[in-house]
Amino acid sequence: MSFLDHFSSMLTPWQWALLLAVPPAIVALYFLKLRRQPLEVPSTYLWHRTIEDLHVNSIWQRLRQNLLLFLQLLLLALLILACLRPSWRGTRLTDNRFIFLVDTSASMSARDVDPSRLDEARRQIEGLIQQMKPRDVAMLVSFSDRAQVEQPFTDNRRLLRRRLAEIQPTERPSDLDEALRVAAGLANPGRTGERGTADVPVAEPLPATLFIFSDGGFRTIPQFAMGNLKPVYVPIGADAPRNVAIVAFSALPHADQPERVQTFAQLENHGPEAVSVEVGLYRQETLLDAARVQLSAGGSGGVEFQLDQAEPGFLRLQIEDDDDLAIDNTASAVLNPPRRAQVLLVTPGNEPLAAALATEAAGKLADVVLAAPALLDTADYQRQAALGTFDLVIYDRCAPRELPQANTLFLGALPGDDRWPAAPRQSAPQILDIEREHPLMHYLEMGDVTIADGTPLTPPPGSRVLIDTDVGPLAAIGPREGFEDTVLGFELVGTDPEGKTYANTDWPIRVSFPVFWRNTLIYLGAATTEAAPISIQPGQPITLRSGKPVEAVRVRDPDGRWHDVPRGPQNAFLFGATARTGVYEVQTVKGQPVDQRFAVNLFDSTESDLRPRTELETQYEKISGSGELETTRREAWKLLLLAGLVVLGGEWYVYHRRVYLPAS
Amino acid sequence: MTTPKATPPLLTPELLAQLERMELVSRKVFRGRMKGERRSPRKGQSVEFADFRSYVAGDDLRFIDWNMYARLEKLFLKLFLEEEDLHFYALLDTSASMDFGDPTKLHYARQLAAALGFIGLCRADRVRIETLDQSLHQHAPVYRGRHNLGRMLGQLEALQPGAPLPLAQGVRNFCLRNSGKGILVLITDLMDKSGYETAFRLLVAQQLDVYVLHLLSPEELEPPIQGDLKLVDCEDRDMAEISVSRPLLERYQRTLAAFVQGARDFCTRRGIAYQLVDTRLPVEQLVRSYLRRRGLIQ
Repeated sequence: MSFLDHFSSMLTPWQWALLLAVPPAIVALYFLKLRRQPLEVPSTYLWHRTIEDLHVNSIWQRLRQNLLLFLQLLLLALLILACLRPSWRGTRLTDNRFIFLVDTSASMSARDVDPSRLDEARRQIEGLIQQMKPRDVAMLVSFSDRAQVEQPFTDNRRLLRRRLAEIQPTERPSDLDEALRVAAGLANPGRTGERGTADVPVAEPLPATLFIFSDGGFRTIPQFAMGNLKPVYVPIGADAPRNVAIVAFSALPHADQPERVQTFAQLENHGPEAVSVEVGLYRQETLLDAARVQLSAGGSGGVEFQLDQAEPGFLRLQIEDDDDLAIDNTASAVLNPPRRAQVLLVTPGNEPLAAALATEAAGKLADVVLAAPALLDTADYQRQAALGTFDLVIYDRCAPRELPQANTLFLGALPGDDRWPAAPRQSAPQILDIEREHPLMHYLEMGDVTIADGTPLTPPPGSRVLIDTDVGPLAAIGPREGFEDTVLGFELVGTDPEGKTYANTDWPIRVSFPVFWRNTLIYLGAATTEAAPISIQPGQPITLRSGKPVEAVRVRDPDGRWHDVPRGPQNAFLFGATARTGVYEVQTVKGQPVDQRFAVNLFDSTESDLRPRTELETQYEKISGSGELETTRREAWKLLLLAGLVVLGGEWYVYHRRVYLPAS
Repeated sequence: MTTPKATPPLLTPELLAQLERMELVSRKVFRGRMKGERRSPRKGQSVEFADFRSYVAGDDLRFIDWNMYARLEKLFLKLFLEEEDLHFYALLDTSASMDFGDPTKLHYARQLAAALGFIGLCRADRVRIETLDQSLHQHAPVYRGRHNLGRMLGQLEALQPGAPLPLAQGVRNFCLRNSGKGILVLITDLMDKSGYETAFRLLVAQQLDVYVLHLLSPEELEPPIQGDLKLVDCEDRDMAEISVSRPLLERYQRTLAAFVQGARDFCTRRGIAYQLVDTRLPVEQLVRSYLRRRGLIQ
């Protein structure tokens, strides 16, 4: 850095000329002013005697007489120096395009640097903006698990500063990938190729310096090549932050005593020292229980509480001790009342199925309505089917003219549209395999099931075969506009030409039969068991279901704001405004009590681990942290102006000492 | 230079009434040429008895106390207090420097001379008003008796600031013109660059009862000036360049105080009564209290 680099004047030569003309003007004015005014007095006798000894040290006296002039010149010199904007240290910005990526994820709210990591990042960016030269442009992007362009490229530093100040911390996890893609838009333009020529960029690439202000806690390694971007990674955060985090918390009914609730929580210590923290369990704001957990440095530990009553509501687990990140010191778990699936069973008569859906376990999961196939022709059914009143419609050996706005399950029948083509029946199909991974087939063992005859299926694209036999798929599930149609190609109960019923399979007497129907109610009916834990991470969308056919539900976020969520095409209510951690309450009908809740918790070890990463890794390169980026150009002009003020004060004092004001 | 807009009268009727009751007192014993209305420390012929003394040959037989002789058979002379007149000189400095202030120092000097002169006139003293710029042979008239008040005031009012003459020269001329003893009131501002010492010594040698009234105007006591100035002496056009500052003004005050103290000490050591007079002080008050305290007036 040369000497001249310490100055960055904003003045034009003309302004300089004007400024430098001031000192001679002051000197000239001073001497003009020094033309003494004659005044006739009775006698100069006493005055001569008064000043005669002053002449002894006249050089000093002359200096003293000109003290005001010197002070004025000194003041002016200070002002001129201030206009030169002298400064020291500070990062020199050599390029003229900058991209500032600011991490706003949950960990940036940590207070291990004062006042917070985000504020520290803001301060450093502010310093860089300060150093931008008039024609430099900069872009401001904030990112957590998604990126947001706060300010596209501009040379308006005031605008940049304002946008910078508007950046708010989020409670989301962080992911650099999207932010890098956003940043690279102009630096690495897309390429196009024409036949016979080499591919060419669609636009002239504009290289830029990319400043990444982050603590580096990313969930994934960005698959990104920097190309024309010159990355500068500025790690933000203290070396040894203290943080104990709740990384999991759930409340579940006790396995043996459903009226009791068990809560489990896992805590992680990301600090450098072993700690002992106290955790408290609250229902609403009432403390229910507390425990002390010992955690080694970098270790984890669990805590468990038992509650006697499983009332609907929510539980909050709180680490009572303070640490650098507050968001992960609280976790919530909801205890929702069970949601029972609305199921319509259309059957000419099916004793085993009716029995399977009438068990106590099934009764807890669903309200099953039995109806004869004749119902399908009624206007009432058609209206309900179109409205999506039902979660699941089971068609036993019958098919509707139009598929309902619900999941369906066909037994011994095909949905009737051309996606499921018919095929000749085959007798005695042998089950070769079942899709155990699919939720419908969990816990099933069907090797002992015999089927008299069935129709091999040709499921539509995107479907999954659930039961494969030697004659072809006998059960499959396929998507339909957000719903799913499940088809079993065999009846449970057949009817012979005489009209007598017969058992087409021995499945109803196998253990797997009731389990399959339970899976069906839970998966296709979207029924939830009691107090099923519902927790998502901040920013994740959640699909809400309603037991009532309403057009919209209302969701109240932890800040108390109500959101109207319209019904989506899948008879579901997709809610995405989950940026804040805490408990969200769902009201199906306006004015009615809250009937559902769900919790948003950070539960992210990566975010809770506050140690700033020293280097940033992409798939193709490693970016070393630049250490403490001394972004702030230490400007001296404020000091100079302050000194000028002092000189001005001195001048004032000298002037007033000189001038005698007679007492009135 | 400040010029008064309207010259106030030299003596107001109220002041005259007060002055009538006063008389000039000399601290020295003088023999007047004519008997005045003044009780002299000298014993003599009057109606007021003073003392006895033994007869010596040659004494006036008219003053022998024959009753005493009858009783004691010794000759005693009755001594009576003598009443005599007094020479009162008012010597005014009429240099240009006296023409400053509002009212001017010269006017103040006139008022002062008029007041003191009137006291003298009332007591049948011989009052003579002289100025320092008078030439050696230019005698001023002597006034005696209060009927001369008008003439005296006329002379005073006719006084104008004159040509600058050193103080010592003016005093020497005065001494040569007037050989008689008496009271001399010198009214001056002492602003003479050659000093006042010679002049005062001359007066002491004349064996006059000398009172120096040192007049200073407010402009000299507390100069209301500021800025960078070129001071011009009104008498000799001498110049002094100053940049007014508080320290300078403080230094001026110290110089002034030293000057006044020097004059006072010089006078005190030589039996001269010195009085510094601020011209803001009304003449009445000066005469009534200050000069009475100094013993000039009874």
